[in-house]
Amino acid sequence: MRGVGNDNVGPHILPRSVLMNIVGVDIGGTFTDLVGCVDGRIVTSKCSTVPADPTRGVAESLALARCEMPALSELLHGSTIAINTVLERKGARTALITTRGFRDTYAIGRGNRIEAFNLFFHRPQPLIPRELTFEIAERINAKGEVLTPLDEAGVHTLVATLAAQKIEAVAVCFLHSYANAAHERRVGEILRAANPKLFVTLSHEIVREYREYERTSTTALNAFVGPRVQAYLGRLETHLRAGKFPGKISIMRSNGGVMSIALAQDQPVSMMESGPVAGIIGAGRLAKLLGIERAIGFDMGGTTAKASLITNGVPAIEEGYVIGGEASGQPMQLPVVDIVEIGAGGGSIAWVDATGGLHVGPKSAGADPGPACYGKGSEDPVVTDANLVLGRVNGERFLNGAMRLDRAAAERALQEKLAGPLRLSVKEAALGIVQIADSAMSLAVRAVSVKKGVDPRQTAMIAFGGAGPLHAVAIAREIFVPKVIVPKVPGTFSALGMLMASWRQDFVRTLYGLLGALDAKVVEAVFAELAEAGKAQAARDGIRPEQADFAFLADLRYVGQEHTIAIPVRDAKLLSGDFSSLRALFDAEHDQRYGQAAPDERLEIVNVRLVVTAARPDTLAEQWLSEAWQPEAPVADQWRDVIFTDAAKPVRTRIAWRPSLAAGARIEGPAVIEEPNATTLIHPGDVATVSAAGHLIIDVKS
Amino acid sequence: MSRNEAHPITVEVVRNAIVAYADEMANALSKAAYNMMIYEVRDYCCGLIDTQARMISQNRGGLPIFLADLGVAVADGIERYSLDGFAPGDVIVMNQGEVCGQHLNNVVVYSPCFHGAELVGFAANRAHWVDIGGVRQGFGSYGSSDIYAEGIQMRSLKIYEAGKRNETLWQIIRDNVRYPDAALGDLRAQIASCQLGARRYGELIARYGRETVEACIARVWDQAEAAARAVVEKIPDGTYEAESFLDNDGRTLDKPLRIKVKVQVRGSQMTVDYSEMNPQVPGPLNSGRSGGIAGARVAFKALTSPDLDVNEGCFRPLDVVLPDGTMLSAKPPSAIGLWSIALPTVIDTILKALAPAVPHMIPAAHKGDMGGCSFFGFRDDGSRFLLMNIFGGGWGGRPDEDGESASVSVCQGDVRNTPVELQEIKYPVLVETHALRPDSGGAGQHRGGLGVELTYKLLQRCKANINLDRTRDPPWGLHGGGAGAVNECFIHRADGTETAVKKATEIEIAPGDRVTFLTAGGGGYGDPGKRPNDAVERDIASGVVTKRNAS
Repeated sequence: MRGVGNDNVGPHILPRSVLMNIVGVDIGGTFTDLVGCVDGRIVTSKCSTVPADPTRGVAESLALARCEMPALSELLHGSTIAINTVLERKGARTALITTRGFRDTYAIGRGNRIEAFNLFFHRPQPLIPRELTFEIAERINAKGEVLTPLDEAGVHTLVATLAAQKIEAVAVCFLHSYANAAHERRVGEILRAANPKLFVTLSHEIVREYREYERTSTTALNAFVGPRVQAYLGRLETHLRAGKFPGKISIMRSNGGVMSIALAQDQPVSMMESGPVAGIIGAGRLAKLLGIERAIGFDMGGTTAKASLITNGVPAIEEGYVIGGEASGQPMQLPVVDIVEIGAGGGSIAWVDATGGLHVGPKSAGADPGPACYGKGSEDPVVTDANLVLGRVNGERFLNGAMRLDRAAAERALQEKLAGPLRLSVKEAALGIVQIADSAMSLAVRAVSVKKGVDPRQTAMIAFGGAGPLHAVAIAREIFVPKVIVPKVPGTFSALGMLMASWRQDFVRTLYGLLGALDAKVVEAVFAELAEAGKAQAARDGIRPEQADFAFLADLRYVGQEHTIAIPVRDAKLLSGDFSSLRALFDAEHDQRYGQAAPDERLEIVNVRLVVTAARPDTLAEQWLSEAWQPEAPVADQWRDVIFTDAAKPVRTRIAWRPSLAAGARIEGPAVIEEPNATTLIHPGDVATVSAAGHLIIDVKS
Repeated sequence: MSRNEAHPITVEVVRNAIVAYADEMANALSKAAYNMMIYEVRDYCCGLIDTQARMISQNRGGLPIFLADLGVAVADGIERYSLDGFAPGDVIVMNQGEVCGQHLNNVVVYSPCFHGAELVGFAANRAHWVDIGGVRQGFGSYGSSDIYAEGIQMRSLKIYEAGKRNETLWQIIRDNVRYPDAALGDLRAQIASCQLGARRYGELIARYGRETVEACIARVWDQAEAAARAVVEKIPDGTYEAESFLDNDGRTLDKPLRIKVKVQVRGSQMTVDYSEMNPQVPGPLNSGRSGGIAGARVAFKALTSPDLDVNEGCFRPLDVVLPDGTMLSAKPPSAIGLWSIALPTVIDTILKALAPAVPHMIPAAHKGDMGGCSFFGFRDDGSRFLLMNIFGGGWGGRPDEDGESASVSVCQGDVRNTPVELQEIKYPVLVETHALRPDSGGAGQHRGGLGVELTYKLLQRCKANINLDRTRDPPWGLHGGGAGAVNECFIHRADGTETAVKKATEIEIAPGDRVTFLTAGGGGYGDPGKRPNDAVERDIASGVVTKRNAS
């Protein structure tokens, strides 16, 4: 596809006093999206990703959006390069160095079989083979005491082996290095001195937390993707500097924050999920601006739907996840925005199994051949086909009219694959697809809140993505969410989120012991060590100390439990002295999440965490989100038949054009609100109002 | 109830919902649990049960051998109290050996689920408590000779009655188990999980009406049944037999135990016949009927529909012939503490019987045991400790590829070994080796997977249970493949002596002693002569096969 530039998403002119020009560029597998605030305007563009040289995508998207590189003060960037390197297993030739006796920690993993009844299961396949895994004599115990000194001679011998094997990257993970990193550090010195070009990752530099397999896997991931990502980011920077770009380059990371390009080159493992999290960060900012305490960010695109719980503007964070699927993927023990993903998108294929069960997804028709209604020859009915047949989507205005949808092709696919075999009418089958997809998404969205002990009735949903606004209200009805917000530019909202992300770096350090019995000096030392690491990192990325916020948390649990809950700790003294306030917070949180608490039981700490954040110096995107809405010239309403809950009884429905709706406009359901890249469906009885800033606020009938 | 009410779209909505509720129950249970048997070993299951004690749905990812067997526990309560005898706020506990057929550590908890004043079902879970009293501690103890030595039994007792806790029962539990904080913590988590499930199912009924929901559930079961039947139909009709042997019953050491199964396939129906199974034994290496049924069901599920959810319908095409008095159907008051130990072998033997009929569906034998160790004693400060760890072994070679290494048994699904760093943080041990065991995989065109080598150095006086099995009858190969290496265990005493141990209950360990476990490898599949040279070379380069063994 050719690129589409659009520098005029409504005449939203920001005050001229604004001097900063920032752009976010998100390079996905298929498309490269750009959203920027330039000269007081919001600019966007979309073009095809150039897989051979993704940096060309940056150049092209900047050109399409008519952004001059010398005029920009910051470029924020998200990319799938790190995660694709893992999924395609196309990383560097990497070696692993372990404690003697533990060469196979990485291969053995946890021994589990997630697919419990599958006799032909596959376990995670290490990124580094056994023949490139080397043991070194050394041993440190759980207290950090050296039991066996490091065999430095052995390390020097290994240097030659690595060179002979043409190794490009090395991961080093020793037992209990979270407690004492001296041996790892020394190995790093020797390796880096011997070959400065070698990409060396030491486990304690990435994560200082017990669990040797997950830490090894995280370290190996970083080393494996390191050289390739480093080269890619290097090319990007060179390209931008050659174009006289004078500003800062920030990289979006999985924890929902950004980091400097220099740090990204050392810790590429932390940019694995840089794409999906940006939208959720944006939803968080919007929730904050609108004063919503608990929100559910809901992003539905072509292949999947994603949801995340947002509390006081901050998305939930998970301490690690598995890349490439739970059953046989690679564990990554770093904080990541807690996003639940479900295989239901506009392109999800509906099918009937051999026993007559009707299912939607997880297979997707993707962009090519795409839905049957794209007319590219696909015969599989998908969610978008169903929406078209139900009259919910406008075949003439799809992608702002760039593509006409073929309703007859959609009906044919529905008839042949579903309606015929199930003896339903085409419209019944279409309604069934949408209802099944909505119900599956409802369960996932509900799980996002109830797993954290939050009642969906006390939340609001912020819906975006190409298909989000079309399904959001139905989901909200299903799980009793009383309010749905569809922000301005829902179709490119994800890229906008990047412009609002704070600088963020997470640190963790295992500290194990009973609350009330911890040595104050040890606790102070751990806090000091973390703070020191945080300050150093911030300084390295040019963050001034007064800009940074240091938040400590303690991973706590009742003695005997395994799973912990992170509780904020203002002061290290709370851990070694009177901890009653922590105790109360923990008991309350445990009760909320699991429906019970044990205030009489002993509490223990497992880890101390430090989250260092620095808010962006500007608030351009936030200002644009809050700025008064100025509608375009009025466009006359259309009317058409839309099926809501009864396939036999279409409802004559008002079709409004969103760009022309004035602030304060009130639209009663049934209604369809269309805009260039999204469609919002308002069900009978629900009421949408255009807020002063132009967001759609939908009150859902309970 | 008319099947016609089950509109295909509502069926799909209900299908997703009932499993999601069970998963939500599992999350609430495992996240708040106090013992590694629940949070690491996932030795639990959660589900919804109807008023006829049938399994509506079960969570994904629990222990495979807990297959649709919560119903018998609930049925006992229904018989005792009658359907009118439950009130909102009731919670029932149940672990009685005769009815449940499993070791007493497996405690079932359930709550009735109401729609208005009407009882519409139950939300239930079963979880493995780390201790239930009695003479047995940790894994693998042969110390008991009858059920009364194995801990406290609670037969369908209301621990909560209309929301009020039965303090007497609570105290009895507290006073009769070794780790009361953990047991009662797990019980609290189980109760919260059941109450959550009961609430959710009530919401579903309120939304769609009881008749519609039940019609949809019936349809989901029918579909599960049809999916399984379609696979059984493809297996040629016939009677298939196989046998294998466990080492002994832990008491009479020279007498192997015969695991004999006969599998009959007739059209879309399969029968697993245990008529010639070894009789029950004097020690705890027995199960009640639920053990025999679980073994047949795991094999059946793995063959027919491993990727579909578990419910009452999956097993309709399966009949189990299981006379009383075998080691899988021991009569009370037999000891059943090691109820699950025979099951990996039982399941593999069922598969072996069918291997000639459907060679493309069945891998060679896997390691064949549950694989675990326990060390227990007192720390310097007088507190009690119990280290339990589960480790994997090799799985058999497959029709198209090598077997997986270092994986837990067919009876254990998402069961995880305990991180070495965590063991050393919590317990007085030092792990010296955690490695793949070279040369342990059976030879074959497709090699068996490797076992594991694990060496503990104990830093404090304690006791250990060691329970190896299948050392006489190794994991077999298929279609010309060789056998995998068998389980071994060595104790290297601090004084320099070394002994091989197979079964030992509460063996004394002194500080500085080392205990090494070598777990079994998987059997090979197909003629080793047909193994491609590059595969052999790769094995040698990576060191999983030594040169000596490759030739």
